[in-house]
Amino acid sequence: MRVEYINPFVEAAFNILREVLNAEITRGELYLKSASQPVLGVAAIVGLAGDVEGRVLFDMSRPTAIAIASAMNGEELSDLDDLGKATITELANMITAQAVTKLHDLGFKFDLTPPAIFTGDNMEVTDTEVEALIVPVNLEQGKIEINVAVRERA
Amino acid sequence: MKTKMDFPNINERKAEGVRADGNAYRVLVVDDSMFVTKQISQILTSEGFDVVGTAKDGQEGLEKYKELYPNVDLVTMDITMPKMDGVTSLEKIIEFDKDARVIMISALGKQDLVKKSLLLGAKNYIVKPLDRKKVLERVLMSLK
Repeated sequence: MRVEYINPFVEAAFNILREVLNAEITRGELYLKSASQPVLGVAAIVGLAGDVEGRVLFDMSRPTAIAIASAMNGEELSDLDDLGKATITELANMITAQAVTKLHDLGFKFDLTPPAIFTGDNMEVTDTEVEALIVPVNLEQGKIEINVAVRERA
Repeated sequence: MKTKMDFPNINERKAEGVRADGNAYRVLVVDDSMFVTKQISQILTSEGFDVVGTAKDGQEGLEKYKELYPNVDLVTMDITMPKMDGVTSLEKIIEFDKDARVIMISALGKQDLVKKSLLLGAKNYIVKPLDRKKVLERVLMSLK
């Protein structure tokens, strides 16, 4: 997978997270996975279909998701309730929209699915025929892994 | 000795959401995201606006507008929603009330739909992520 696909997502995540959380964030080392990999507990998934196809996961632990949703709402949420899930969905929406705008400007044309949220323990994601690039983003609230598996349509 | 007169009273600032006659501006918030609805409502009510209704899609937004009319001053309208999108809902609201004041709430990358909305009669637009300053600025601009 070409790195140019993941960069817009990482840049957009930085811009949006900085804006909505009003805090400094840092990125960890990018790594590549070609087989199954564990999902941290709360994952927002957005599908891409067009010139490029695949999916983007915004993956985080449940406490991190609750802490981020709390910060974005300006109140302590005790659990990942409907409001918490709507908040993480909106976060995924905003990051993806910004990333896609950049990719469209680079000439890639594709559509997006609305984000869906998966929650649970011991989940893993398997991408056959397309490898996943993962960039960990470190926040005060914990870590979000931006996990992008896309390829050019044959 | 310092008296009360020495300190400016912060409460003297007029809330932006209140008209000269003392009545609050009445707002209908149309958005399928519970988070965004809450965020907009909080920003507006903190400034004295009265959120008189919320709707989760364009269809419900249109119905609520007709129900509330003429006791509604402004609509905030998401663009991407299930059942009926915000642009269609805007079009139908303007058909019903050509003086309706509607502000579009958009994610980045929807310039074409924003442009279309403005041509259809939307008063303004706000690109997410929303913040207090941006929302109040655009809302007040649309009410003037």
